[in-house]
Amino acid sequence: MNPPGPLPPIDESRLAVAPDLPDILPARKPRKGLLGLIRNNPAMAFGVFLLLVMLFLAIFAPFLGTVDPTSLSPSRRTRLPSEAYWFGTDMLGRDIYSRVLYGTRVSLTVGFSVAVLASIAGLVIGLVSGMVRWADSLIMRMIDGMMSIPPILLAIALMALTRGSMQNVIIAITVAEIPRVARLVRGVVLTLREQPYVDGAIAAGTRMPRLIFRHILPNTLAPMIVQATYICASAMIVEAILSFIGAGIPPTVPTWGNIMADGRTLWQVRPHIIVFPAIFLSVTVLAVNLVGDGLRDALDPRMAKRL
Amino acid sequence: MLSFIVRRIIATIPVMGFVALFVFSLLYIAPGDPAAVIAGDQASPADVERIRAGLGLDRPYLVRFAEWLFRVLQGDLGTSIFTSLPVTQLIAQRIEPTVSLMVVTLFFAIIIAVPMGVIAAWKANTWIDRVAMAFAVFGFSVPVFVVGYLLAYIFALKLDWFPVQGYTPLSAGFGPWLENLVLPAVTLGMVYIALIARITRASMLEVLQQDYIRTARSKGLAQPSILFIHALKNAAIPVVTVIGIGIALLIGGAVVTESVFAIPGLGRLTVDAILRRDYPVIQGVVLMFSFVYVLINLVVDIIYTLLDPRIRY
Repeated sequence: MNPPGPLPPIDESRLAVAPDLPDILPARKPRKGLLGLIRNNPAMAFGVFLLLVMLFLAIFAPFLGTVDPTSLSPSRRTRLPSEAYWFGTDMLGRDIYSRVLYGTRVSLTVGFSVAVLASIAGLVIGLVSGMVRWADSLIMRMIDGMMSIPPILLAIALMALTRGSMQNVIIAITVAEIPRVARLVRGVVLTLREQPYVDGAIAAGTRMPRLIFRHILPNTLAPMIVQATYICASAMIVEAILSFIGAGIPPTVPTWGNIMADGRTLWQVRPHIIVFPAIFLSVTVLAVNLVGDGLRDALDPRMAKRL
Repeated sequence: MLSFIVRRIIATIPVMGFVALFVFSLLYIAPGDPAAVIAGDQASPADVERIRAGLGLDRPYLVRFAEWLFRVLQGDLGTSIFTSLPVTQLIAQRIEPTVSLMVVTLFFAIIIAVPMGVIAAWKANTWIDRVAMAFAVFGFSVPVFVVGYLLAYIFALKLDWFPVQGYTPLSAGFGPWLENLVLPAVTLGMVYIALIARITRASMLEVLQQDYIRTARSKGLAQPSILFIHALKNAAIPVVTVIGIGIALLIGGAVVTESVFAIPGLGRLTVDAILRRDYPVIQGVVLMFSFVYVLINLVVDIIYTLLDPRIRY
């Protein structure tokens, strides 16, 4: 064995050094703003566009060549679409174009209100259920009970108790949707509570309110917003169904469901009465669903993988 | 296994209890005073009081709930205000069309949606996948009565392939029965098909990345055998779950579909009861549908253990 001698001097020229290569791949600039949205998620951009159009129609309904949507003119009943009546007239001679445009207001209001109210209520119930152990089993039994009543049936049953008005319709659909949000939020809270960073926060002496508002709540928002858009879409459909079967907003108020209910008896000979509100309803719900899918992909990659 | 089923059945008791309490409260807080209605216009307040006491309506809420529950457990759902017939009889008369509609819908939905989801996952990110998923989004968005009128207009009114409306009982023959149910079933199934197809695709996508799929492929198994035997069975749990949960959609949709196609089923019964404010009937229908829904989800839970032996309760 050779004794370890002094190391030979390092020949600097023979050292392999990583060469300075030019950047072959230029850094990808993620586009932001409107252009980025259109490029990265054209379906969602389309949904947003459709929703904006609907919002515009709802806000400016009185100024878009409409007449009073409730004014009757029995001599001009069931006219086909023409230059004077763009979408024709219904059985009582009311202008369907005007009624459909005013109906946009009802659908958007109901959809948006239910989404917001159900999210807030579901969030509170879900947070309490997820954080307060003794309340959990009681709340979950109630939620299970409510979820075993199909939502449309629940909304119908609630509407049977009250007089038909937009406010009551919103309340009935909200009550029917709350269990779903509460379940979702509770599920998220339960997984979050097991996260090391939450343990860390508790170990560091974080109090309950701060723990909830700083560490738990922000992480429940993304899945909840996605859920809220789906609730918005479903609320619009349920509202139309309630109106359609006569358990919703009074028939005098122009809503898409009411217009279709009016056209029911005549649908074989005068399908246009049903067609126009049907198109508006379908397009609006489609737009909300597209936005929901887009938000899901953007906010919650894990959920996007699952669905 | 048996002990699991028993435990699972016991677990549904509190849920059903809550449903019963809710449904009872519905009648309890319903506007209108049955005693005043029975007493008639000429009755004095004392008469109304007497009738109320006779009906037991003056007793406390919980006592009345207990009595009502006791009657329900014996199969007595009360009497319809409008027709004076027992609610159970009304439901029994209307149950066949609705069950027929549900069964045919389930059949159509599963044979269309599952292969659609499987193929979409197999051909992921190709145009086949995109068309299937675009269809699924449309299925979610187009409300059930819109689909109903559209299909009825095209296939019944214009092409004259199917009857426009109505229902023929199964006792009149399988052919006429089915003929009347095709359009309503496709109508009702649209949302359901969309839902099942989406879940099937998502679940299959995950399974197709597993090692055992690569093994199956490398040992030269035919593609259909890989997809439908090796992959689908392992992807089945979310699919079965959503088939169970989706029954709620079907029940809600049946109310509308039966109105559109003039089918004299439970949905029509519900709608008529609402328009007449016939609370005992509403109560009975909601209670029955919820009971069925809970039962179906119980069955779904049991199917889990059959599909995946790893699941042990």
